[in-house]
Amino acid sequence: MIEPCVGEELRRMESKYEPLLPIERKLIWYTFSTGVVLLVIFVLFSRMYT
Amino acid sequence: MGEELNTGLCLGYIMLTERITLIEPRAPSPSEVAKIVQTRLTEDWLAVCIGLFVFVLSLALLFGIDLLGWAVTPSVWTAPSKALAPASKHYASLPALLSLIGTYVFLLIILLVGVKALRADLKRFALGFTAVFAVSYVCWFLGSWAYIAATPDKRPALKIPWSLNLTNESGFIIALLAGLIVGNFLPRVARSLEEAIRPELYIKTAIVILGGFLGIAALEQRQLATAVIFRGVCAIIEAYLIYWPIVYFISRRYFGFSREWAAPLASGISICGVSAAIATGSAIRARPVVPIMVSSLVVIFAVIELMVLPFAAQHYLYSQPLVAGAWMGLAVKTDGAAVASGAITDSLIRAKALAAGVAFQPGWIMGVSTTVKVFIDVFIGVWAFILAWVWSAKIERRPGEKVRAVEIWRRFPKFILGYVATFLIVLAIGLAAPSLIPKVKASMAQANLFRAIFFLMTFFAIGVMSNFRKLWQEGIAKLAAVYVLCLFGYIIWVGLLISWLFFHGVLPPTVKG
Repeated sequence: MIEPCVGEELRRMESKYEPLLPIERKLIWYTFSTGVVLLVIFVLFSRMYT
Repeated sequence: MGEELNTGLCLGYIMLTERITLIEPRAPSPSEVAKIVQTRLTEDWLAVCIGLFVFVLSLALLFGIDLLGWAVTPSVWTAPSKALAPASKHYASLPALLSLIGTYVFLLIILLVGVKALRADLKRFALGFTAVFAVSYVCWFLGSWAYIAATPDKRPALKIPWSLNLTNESGFIIALLAGLIVGNFLPRVARSLEEAIRPELYIKTAIVILGGFLGIAALEQRQLATAVIFRGVCAIIEAYLIYWPIVYFISRRYFGFSREWAAPLASGISICGVSAAIATGSAIRARPVVPIMVSSLVVIFAVIELMVLPFAAQHYLYSQPLVAGAWMGLAVKTDGAAVASGAITDSLIRAKALAAGVAFQPGWIMGVSTTVKVFIDVFIGVWAFILAWVWSAKIERRPGEKVRAVEIWRRFPKFILGYVATFLIVLAIGLAAPSLIPKVKASMAQANLFRAIFFLMTFFAIGVMSNFRKLWQEGIAKLAAVYVLCLFGYIIWVGLLISWLFFHGVLPPTVKG
């Protein structure tokens, strides 16, 4: 049933690698760095005010 | 032929949201997609309706009318004949068997009315539900056996020398194991139950009812409740902003997944399992097979987490109960498994603390798990909207295409409105008339009984639809490899760290006296 489609497709993906686009790199980097910065702010805030 | 193929996909989509199975992917027509979306919305609203219905009936106690007191409740037992009884003393003369049958009939009727709106096969649902209810309740009954359930303080009264100290919520684990046996070794039975295997509906209904129960907790400990809610909001930062990009990067860079696979996979592993995978798949216009496969993985691994993490939390985090609760909400994917893990962790940790002489109030650990999970759910629509914008405007630029803000509402998990409503109603009643708090508390105790039954059926249903063998046969070991690596190598530990940062030192209130 599904195995020949999905299994094969997943195997083929390695040879047909789509390189990371600059926008994807931006999305990853901005998201992660925003998360870390907000995390620090929220931890400090929660310790000081709640 | 085309229609048959499309019907196949519809089935796949519906299973994706409710009863996940692996089936052959095919392209749907726009009208079918619309119908599927409509069905999904209806299920969320249905959970709100059923949850609110039970909630409103329980509130009749405020006017001196006991409408739910006849419902059956299990006690920790040494003699089976004393295991079951009606919940309220007003119905003390009612035989336990009648109380049990009444509970079954009540749930059957309201669910039949509900699933009729989902266009389910009512006869198949009634038969399936009867089996689900019966097996689930037997599991609860077994889990309430004193040698399994009794906590140390109850042993003298029960006249037993030892017990496993698991509380009667060990019935949840027994129900899960029973479901796993049916799902993996009795495929014909599992198929015959399919119409009633609706863990999402059951858990969403339970969460709506849970809102009122947590409202009581918030009334009694307002400052702590505020702190928990604030920290819950903070926790979503982690799920979206810290989990997602790393999982996406690992999937793309080291496992070579295409964008179409990597984005739903990252959402499924990072955010909230099935719902997030579906929303992301839809946002980036992935083929239907992608979120189907991801969701199957999510459910399987959620079951594994459900069976392992609560016990790990009991062993290592019993002195930091709310850290444990937040950890369940952040690490366990799917609403059902996360809240269920919170419930088990709640009982396990309270039992262990009790053995050490500390009696924490029940519900706080589960409340933290639920709060964290609910806040994560709230933002699924927003996240899907952001991804839809990035994909349509930057990655797969389509001329003239705009992402509308209404999409956020369309993807918003509506059952959360029910949860918020019951929470706020209880809070408002308690704040406006403090003298009514004891009555509201009694009302919520009755509603909570039905919440527990819905939980129980969720556990069994999750087990039934977790077909490990079938997933393996589909040849998606590579997807599973990413999942294992990211979940057990990153998400669980970062989730623990963040839970610790926000919740360490914050303890639940203790039981007075």
